[in-house]
Amino acid sequence: MDLADQLAHHAFCADMAPPVRERLVACAREERFEPGAFLLRQNAPAATFYLILDGQVEIKIAGTAVGHAPLETLGKDDAVGWSWFLPPHRWHFDAVARATTHVLAFDADCLRQAMQADSAVGYAITRGLLEVVVQRLQAARMQLSDLYGQP
Amino acid sequence: MDSLEQAAAGRPGEGLVPAPWRIAARREEIADGSVFTWSVRPEAGEVPIYRPGQFNMLYAFGVGEVPISISGDGAASGTLMHTLRAVGRVTRAMQNLKEGDAIGVRGPFGTAWPLETARGRDLILVAGGIGLAPLRPVMCHAMRNPEAFRRVFLLIGCRDPQSELFRDDVIAWSRRPHLQVEVTVDRGGPAWRGHVGVVTKRVQRADFDPSDAVAFLCGPEPMMRFAVLALQQRGVSDDRIFVSMERNMQCGIGTCGHCQWGRYLMCRDGPVLRYDEIADIFDVREL
Ligand SMILES: Cc1cc2nc3c(=O)[nH]c(=O)nc-3n(C[C@H](O)[C@H](O)[C@H](O)COP(=O)(O)OP(=O)(O)OC[C@H]3O[C@@H](n4cnc5c(N)ncnc54)[C@H](O)[C@@H]3O)c2cc1C
Ligand code: FES
Repeated sequence: MDLADQLAHHAFCADMAPPVRERLVACAREERFEPGAFLLRQNAPAATFYLILDGQVEIKIAGTAVGHAPLETLGKDDAVGWSWFLPPHRWHFDAVARATTHVLAFDADCLRQAMQADSAVGYAITRGLLEVVVQRLQAARMQLSDLYGQP
Repeated sequence: MDSLEQAAAGRPGEGLVPAPWRIAARREEIADGSVFTWSVRPEAGEVPIYRPGQFNMLYAFGVGEVPISISGDGAASGTLMHTLRAVGRVTRAMQNLKEGDAIGVRGPFGTAWPLETARGRDLILVAGGIGLAPLRPVMCHAMRNPEAFRRVFLLIGCRDPQSELFRDDVIAWSRRPHLQVEVTVDRGGPAWRGHVGVVTKRVQRADFDPSDAVAFLCGPEPMMRFAVLALQQRGVSDDRIFVSMERNMQCGIGTCGHCQWGRYLMCRDGPVLRYDEIADIFDVREL
């Protein structure tokens, strides 16, 4: 599969119009991370957006009482990182590959320019990111509510 | 005779009179002992026939009685399994009982998981915490009858790696090609290799065919609410979603009204209900 096919098959792009996907392909490259490799590092410049093709990635926070704690695991069809979208463009968390992980990596400058130049691209990506953020927020609230704790 | 007298007049174990059983074996599911599994055997007679999803009323003598799902059977050894989580007065008293101790048992009661509806289809089981207990007999059925369902997706949510239930079973189930098991925890430790997150995410990602799938759900109600939404989003129709609802019970046989939920008596019409039949009252508080 070439980049365009991989993009078309990813859940993040499922509802995007072909011209929007073409603009995204222009910013994309394929990357591979071996277990233990960092996709994002807490506080480093947020210059890339990732869509996972296969593998597993842990979102982690350093410096907690329980060590380098995993907050969430992500896999095929998930998106990684939205801090590239809003200032100050720095990662808030670490993202570490747990298994060999293939991704589509998008250059953040290229994406932001495409979004500004074409409102259809801007809307499609913003909508996709919002969906990801909403799902993560709902998940975080459920995790926090300790559903399975003592009644 | 009024209905209560009729109910009381049944044979021990069938009506309001508990039959004497004994704890044949006890196993701790969680290291701190707060969740444990009993294999129980009747003092006299045969183990009653039960259907996956049904429950028994278990009686700790002198303390009280609680509804507890049947989590399996040892067909050869003439026992039934119950997995209990100690949360309050009765279940904490039960936590202190030992092998050989006597208990009272009434049942089995209630509706069962509709295995026939799921036959030949993709079956999705979503279990949260102790909610895995009533779904365990479905997994045992799927192990014994690999042709019963097209594929089975068991999606388990629990608090942390320490509170994972039926660990040996989960490993054995995971090895079967037609059974796909995914465990996700709210809080993972450094050694945890499974998923961290919410079980509804596994519903979003599992590779089932929504147009020909049936789902059985059991767990805390907020978890089931989100799981229903995730199934609907995937395109599973409401009449193919079944939930096990828990309400406080007393008689267990539809006479006292204690377990009323809207138009249902949950001991008789539940605990397993089809979602489209309860959608209007599913998220109504103070019913
Ligand atoms: C059909 C059915 C099947 C069940 N199957 C099982 C099972 O397999 N294993 C198991 O451990 N439990 C099961 N339960 C729940 C179990 O019946 C209760 O935990 C038990 O009745 C609590 O009694 P208690 O005296 O120990 O606690 P109580 O002193 O009555 O309550 C202690 C605390 O637990 C809360 N509580 C009580 N019942 C529930 C409940 N059902 N859900 C959530 N919180 C509750 C109370 O609000 C209170 O805060 C089932 C319930 C039903 C209705
Ligand atoms: S518990 Fe008595 S009617 Fe259901």
